[in-house]
Amino acid sequence: MLLPLLPALLLMAAMNDPAGAAAPAADCAAAPAALPDELAGWTGATLLEAATDADAAAATLLIGTAVDLQLKPTPQVAYPVRPERPGGSVSHGGIVRFSVAQAGVYRVALDSGVWIDVVADGQRLASVAHGHGPDCSGIRKMVDFRLESGTYLLEIAGSGTPAVRVMVASVPAA
Amino acid sequence: MNWGRRVALPLAALLLAGLGAARERAPAGAEAAQVALGRRLFYDADLSLDGSMACATCHVQRHGFADSTRTRAGVTGEPGRRNVPGLANVGRRASLTWGDATLRTLEAQALVPLQGEHPVEMGMKGQDGELARRLGANGCYVRLFRAGFPEVDGRIDMATVTRALGTFQRSLLSADAPVDRARGNDTAGTRLFRRHCAACHSGPDMTDDRFHRVDGIHAADRGLGEISGRARDDGRFRTPSLRNVAVSAPYFHDGAGPTLADAIRRHRGLRLDEEEVTALVDHLGGFTDPTFLADPRFAYPDGPCEAG
Repeated sequence: MLLPLLPALLLMAAMNDPAGAAAPAADCAAAPAALPDELAGWTGATLLEAATDADAAAATLLIGTAVDLQLKPTPQVAYPVRPERPGGSVSHGGIVRFSVAQAGVYRVALDSGVWIDVVADGQRLASVAHGHGPDCSGIRKMVDFRLESGTYLLEIAGSGTPAVRVMVASVPAA
Repeated sequence: MNWGRRVALPLAALLLAGLGAARERAPAGAEAAQVALGRRLFYDADLSLDGSMACATCHVQRHGFADSTRTRAGVTGEPGRRNVPGLANVGRRASLTWGDATLRTLEAQALVPLQGEHPVEMGMKGQDGELARRLGANGCYVRLFRAGFPEVDGRIDMATVTRALGTFQRSLLSADAPVDRARGNDTAGTRLFRRHCAACHSGPDMTDDRFHRVDGIHAADRGLGEISGRARDDGRFRTPSLRNVAVSAPYFHDGAGPTLADAIRRHRGLRLDEEEVTALVDHLGGFTDPTFLADPRFAYPDGPCEAG
């Protein structure tokens, strides 16, 4: 099981799906979610501007730290690898970079069902699991990737909103 | 989805009036342009209000143009209501949705996700002008609309958009599954299928296109009865085609069956032991057409514009 600390999470097929069916629980104000350790940084997000091309040095995500990512109009974004679902001309997207020091499973958590691709060496990487976050966490979608140490680009495409909260977290081994 | 049909059908009829009968074929060159155009439109999220959702967002080729989720929320976040059906050989279908026997053309059906409000899917109701603006800003689209619809001078509107989508969908032909080459096989699964399933899952696409009640009646979704208004139609849903069924989980109109075995067991009155369910599931695997699932003619259009 690749998502060991989130029993409420729905495992689906091992691919990057927007998990469009995920819906928040009814009374989240009364019972906010207790997040597992690896997602503890989700609630302390800072602002970050997404990059518009592969030169994303200024748009770097730190593992375990959430950002409220300010996206760009899709026509302004030059994705190094065409996203599987690119989004329309009126949508928003962007690129961020993140580095992995130690090989393992890493989870991309988002507050929307927006499409993401993790890219390395000009190739999209296949995800190994996806689902949604704990009820009332605000995490709508989570996608896991098995990564070697190195630097990766996270492409965010086809967002209906100009900003998304995103975090990359290391998933503890089971 | 079905409530939207009450608005969409008359509107569709009006829109299509300028193009003649929806199923009347265009000249060969124009039809090829319509296929190319429809394919581009099918994968274009500019067909949704906020640019986040294309037809292909839910109709995914590797899943037989079905979806891998139970239901899918639309652009406003409103939850989806029914599971997304596959599209293999959809041009041969006499009925096109889970619970509406009156929706008979792909052109009219396209208006349900595009403009429907119960639930909102792509959110384009009242956005015809905006759609024309978006597509008209793309030179390739302008050329393809001209090539595909010379009789209306390449007009870009909801009628030509849905016509092109329909023409592309009619090109989604599947005939290379193992079952297409081995109709006479006699295995345990084949025998079980013939005995228990083939009365409704009949013909080359394993559907009779009719509406049956194989499960209980649920107030949340009356199925055919919702549209017909007849109590006897409550709980009746269209027999789904079983082409590519093994790659199109989850199952049933509500997507509540995560596996084929679950879907088989949900047929009320069908009493099979575990060994028989396993044999039937194996047989259903023979309905997968790998050529169709990987056919580049149906994939995202990465190449140059087809209209010079």
